[in-house]
Amino acid sequence: MKKRVLSLLLCGCMAVSLLAGCGSKEAPAADTPAEEGTEAPAENGEDAEASEEDSADGSDMEYVKSKGTLVVGITDFEPMDYKDDSGEWIGFDADMAKAFAESLGVDVEFVEIDWDNKVLELDSKTIDCVWNGMTLTDEVKSAMECSNAYCNNAQIVIVPADKAEQYQDTDSLKDLNFAVEAGSAGEAEVTALGLSCTPVKAQSDALLEVASGTSDAAVIDSLMAAAMVGEGTGYADLTYTIQLNSEEYGVGFRKGSDLAAALNDFFLAGYTDGSIAACAETYNIQAALIDAELVEE
Amino acid sequence: MEQFLEQFPIVVQSLNIGFLQTLKLFFVTLLGAVPLGLIIAFGSMSRFRPLSYFTKIIVWIIRGTPLMIQLLIIFYFPGLVLKKQIWGGGEVARFTASAVAFIFNYACYFSEIYRGGIQSIPVGQEEAGLVLGMTKSQIFFKVTLLQMIKRIVPPMSNEVITLVKDTSLARIIALQEIIWAGQAFLKGSQGISGQIWPLFFTAVYYLIFSGVVTLLLGRLEKKLDYFR
Amino acid sequence: MAILEVEHLSKTFERTEVLKDINFSLEKGQVVSLIGSSGSGKTTCLRCLNFLERPDTGIIRVNGETLFDADDPVTTRESAIRKKRLHFGLVFQSFNLFPQYTALGNVMLASELLAKERPDYKENKKAIHEEIEQKAQVLLEQMGLEDRMNNYPHQLSGGQCQRVAIARALALKPDILCFDEPTSALDPELTGEVLKVIRELAEQRTTMIIVTHEMAFARDVSNHVIFMDDGRILEEGTPEEVFGHPRELRTQQFLGHYAQ
Repeated sequence: MKKRVLSLLLCGCMAVSLLAGCGSKEAPAADTPAEEGTEAPAENGEDAEASEEDSADGSDMEYVKSKGTLVVGITDFEPMDYKDDSGEWIGFDADMAKAFAESLGVDVEFVEIDWDNKVLELDSKTIDCVWNGMTLTDEVKSAMECSNAYCNNAQIVIVPADKAEQYQDTDSLKDLNFAVEAGSAGEAEVTALGLSCTPVKAQSDALLEVASGTSDAAVIDSLMAAAMVGEGTGYADLTYTIQLNSEEYGVGFRKGSDLAAALNDFFLAGYTDGSIAACAETYNIQAALIDAELVEE
Repeated sequence: MEQFLEQFPIVVQSLNIGFLQTLKLFFVTLLGAVPLGLIIAFGSMSRFRPLSYFTKIIVWIIRGTPLMIQLLIIFYFPGLVLKKQIWGGGEVARFTASAVAFIFNYACYFSEIYRGGIQSIPVGQEEAGLVLGMTKSQIFFKVTLLQMIKRIVPPMSNEVITLVKDTSLARIIALQEIIWAGQAFLKGSQGISGQIWPLFFTAVYYLIFSGVVTLLLGRLEKKLDYFR
Repeated sequence: MAILEVEHLSKTFERTEVLKDINFSLEKGQVVSLIGSSGSGKTTCLRCLNFLERPDTGIIRVNGETLFDADDPVTTRESAIRKKRLHFGLVFQSFNLFPQYTALGNVMLASELLAKERPDYKENKKAIHEEIEQKAQVLLEQMGLEDRMNNYPHQLSGGQCQRVAIARALALKPDILCFDEPTSALDPELTGEVLKVIRELAEQRTTMIIVTHEMAFARDVSNHVIFMDDGRILEEGTPEEVFGHPRELRTQQFLGHYAQ
């Protein structure tokens, strides 16, 4: 929510300075190779829609190919994107991104971003896609051009292990104070249930809240919970109980980008030849992988 | 305890890399903002009214808005509105944008300190120089400058120490400085997750570095003690 | 020929006329004292001669050369004025020594900067520097400061500071040395050492204009005395005439205050 207010504010600021400042509107837009003049990029900056119109010409692929690099926005998120001992980015998403870039004939570059700014990063072309176990929420789908879902996820409730027995159904949650990542799918679920919640900056912060006792419970992604909560992890004293919903991961591109369709084709081929399944097994997420038949529909 | 000892070297190595970014941003900012601030100070003291009004408005805008917003605008504005991403790719892009924002921001603060320093020097100093046939620039460099430096060292020390800590703001555009590096272990990185102590531990770095800066500036202040 | 001629000098600040049609001249080797109450325009007159203020009207001539003519824009250009200042030296009431230089450094600084403009500077750098240093030392010795050369201004007494300032002004060999109330900022017991130095300069036939409130000193040391009142020269003449037999009532009143 905060993010949206901020970007609106920014856009407003920029619209004003544009109107006051440059006068000639075509000049700056002409620099992008993507614009072949199919649509006059004149109406800049009224609001967020401006950027949608601009990339709607459908040559984002040309843009990426012309610069020769696919810049992938990520966060450090095991098992999707994380660094191996030599400092190279690996993980299910990272490996798939590398393969996708190769299929396009471009280099891949991973850039760590502030998750709050992912749409801003895309629209300002500082990255070309968000490929980081991103839940396909309505908000994400309206702000980005998304690929088909490739992975299942769920929002699950995290509580201290010694209290887990008390909280095995949704009714039991109503007196708890939840910590959730601001703007996350978890926040949406908790709000929908009418539970009281504190938005924090990251899912990991939500875990910290529970561990330190400042919140009673947290709601985070099941994939993340599997890696971070329970025996043998940094949060051995926490555990997960109820699944609030089920949801899916997808890859986000700039609004209107033709790369989303290209990735769908790439996924399809990957399901057929089994390379995706093989990759998923490497990172132990095969159970969450979406069935090939489902994708083909 | 055993786990901590295992994690410690990994964390420290990661924090060191982050701190290197912090230091880089710190020194680049100083290197750029110290001279730029002087130019802005002269601009705002100019007898050519439009120039002095213009610089004063710029200084007002830069000092009157949060550095965090300036970072966001500088980094995202070109690609978002001008449709031309000017910062290039990778971490270098984020560093360059951060450096530009920091240099401008700090130059504006410095310029006001300089202006105060220059204006606090008695007019008699300039007159004595003029009467001795010195040019304006000779007077500035041979007479006024050192007296000004002596006067601005204490307020500048304040700003410089603030700068040490302000560098952490650059993580809003994902510059991976030391706090970013510390936070990574909270989310999970290199097999360590849910650990808050690396983030707390970054404070030690800041503390040591600002200590060194304070010592050096104190020494400079002492060095200029030979005259009054 | 007069070394200095001043004609029809006038100056207005805001709406106050500070100088009204000032005319006087000065012979080489002469000492002129400017006396009068505060606000009578003495200091402004001196500052005009040193081009720290720009006169609204009038002409300033040194050795027959017109340095400044308010009606001739060529002579009023900022760029030309710098060199013209070198005809005059000025000793300030508040010394205005440069605090970051030693006594010797203060005396040498301007000479060293000027030497850099000499065409042969690069070849003879060292010799020029030594010459300047030597001259500065001689001047400071002359001021009785041989053991204070390497002290910084804040380590010197007011009287010593003012003597350094005099040496600094003399280092550039001005045609005319001006003093703006040189002892007003000093404790009474320190004025003597400064006045003694000025007296010695007078004995060496240094051309000087002295703005002062030390009436006994002015009477003693000067060849010519000018009494200013309300921006005008009201009366002038030899010390004997002005101090002994003042013609104007205003002069008598003014001198009367000092007699008490």
